[in-house]
Amino acid sequence: MKKVYAFEKNCLGCGLCEVYCKTAHSKSKDIIKTYKKENIQSAIVVEEILSPKTKTYFALQCRHCSDPKCVKACISGAMYKDETGIVRNIKEKCVGCLSCVLVCPFGAVKKSTEKKIVSKCDLCIETGGNPACVQNCPNNALKLMDEEEVK
Amino acid sequence: MEYLIIGNSAAGINCADKIRSIDKTGKITILSEESFEAYGRPLISYYLAGKYDIELMKYKPAEFYKNKKINVVLNCQAQQIDTKKKEVKCSNKKTYKYDKLLIATGSIPFVPPVKGIEKHKNVFTFLKLEDAQKIEKVITKKSKVVIVGAGLIGLKAAEALAGKVGQISVIDLADRLMASVLDKKTASIMQKHIEEHDINFKLSVTVSEVSSDSVLLSDGTKLVCDVLIMAVGVRPNVAVAQNAKIKINRGIVTDKYMMTSAKDVYAAGDCVESLDVLSQQNKILALWPNAFIQGETAGLNMAGEKTPFNGSFAMNAIGFFGIQLISAGIIDPKEQGYAEYVEYDETKITFKKLIIKDDKLVGFALLNLPYRAGIYTSIINDRISLKDLNYDITKRDIGLNVFSQDIRYNKMFRGKNG
Repeated sequence: MKKVYAFEKNCLGCGLCEVYCKTAHSKSKDIIKTYKKENIQSAIVVEEILSPKTKTYFALQCRHCSDPKCVKACISGAMYKDETGIVRNIKEKCVGCLSCVLVCPFGAVKKSTEKKIVSKCDLCIETGGNPACVQNCPNNALKLMDEEEVK
Repeated sequence: MEYLIIGNSAAGINCADKIRSIDKTGKITILSEESFEAYGRPLISYYLAGKYDIELMKYKPAEFYKNKKINVVLNCQAQQIDTKKKEVKCSNKKTYKYDKLLIATGSIPFVPPVKGIEKHKNVFTFLKLEDAQKIEKVITKKSKVVIVGAGLIGLKAAEALAGKVGQISVIDLADRLMASVLDKKTASIMQKHIEEHDINFKLSVTVSEVSSDSVLLSDGTKLVCDVLIMAVGVRPNVAVAQNAKIKINRGIVTDKYMMTSAKDVYAAGDCVESLDVLSQQNKILALWPNAFIQGETAGLNMAGEKTPFNGSFAMNAIGFFGIQLISAGIIDPKEQGYAEYVEYDETKITFKKLIIKDDKLVGFALLNLPYRAGIYTSIINDRISLKDLNYDITKRDIGLNVFSQDIRYNKMFRGKNG
């Protein structure tokens, strides 16, 4: 399957991926309205790597694991791996117990800011499967690539 | 090949799912003593609180059973396993044959003998959907509810009933809530928070006697009681295995391939004792993810793919009234040799505790700080030496940046799960 891969060399740590992630998952699909009116959690974590002289960054989202721990920990059946390999969370079924947060080895599932549920990367499946973070990264630090190709 | 599974929850269903991924034609039957399709047992408190309906509670969509050709028989309690004839006699008067059998009978509530308990007409346990429905029927806005047990189950029952009844008292023999999970400090923060929702605690006491409308506690206090919920704890449900002379210790004993002492009979989930990798002892780890993984592992082995179960350790994610607790491993060490790192913010009600032994993280507890807890869990699970990490995990928040670039790349780009 195709996943989003982060390239540390290119990452500026600008956080635009987060901005576009939030907007893509908003109702309005408008950056300003998303920020002012909609309380949305981005599905991305921008991490800073501290080294003695420089700061580098990378943006991480759900790895859509082949054997996902979050799905196994989910008590409600909300978290599942769909037939295309995307790990998805059914919002209506999620009770926000955070069992998935407890077991995700990447720390890529977050507590939602909207409701008492969790939020995670869905590879923008509902808006056409072309991830907004990849499209809007100004320096090619995020790429949608086939996992076989990457390995 | 005929596969028979006793128990229709995390272990049973995921066993069936895994069998089907290998054996496309074998017959798979799940027996359930309940009258509902499979649901996550921990959801019953959300149901009782009125936040969740039965339709949403279904663990799997209807197509799942159809597509995977998994036959579920409801209202069917397994009563007698004949390991020689390879068949199971059930409460519905039917006998089911098997080539491979899984026992995934889960837990049953433990109700200690209490003087006079038979005099009270509204005594319940709180483990199944049926229990929540019975409680739902008898409570009124005025009910005075006494919950015996301040563990996860008792507290979830209290949370569900808050605002729906007149009074809630939770009593426990231990000096704190969730004594098996929490240390004293975390427990007291949690207690203070829960008390703000009109739930009263009586700790370090037991019930001495029950009458038709009250309970008498060991310290002499008498509590008026319309509804009594017994949530002292759970025990592995081993009766049917025991009758079949299958080896039992604390729970059903299995080898690392999840097979019991009887040939072609496997067991998984809360009814089984499993290896706690942190203490290297066999324990009952009645946890959803553990049941899921054991069920899957049993399924693989039943379908002929030899796969070991590598053990587990305690972990919990639970919330009460908006306060979130995430913990794993050893969080209240009783012996020497453990170092504890604690950060506590009383105004924000946050708490972080890391337990380290011999340069390894062995446990953590986070209160209202759930962010990226799974990275700690993976550090415990993978037995990583803390000196090999990029920074001191006791000094800053955890991220994937804690790993060296090589390890990080391997995880994100090349790992099975990357």
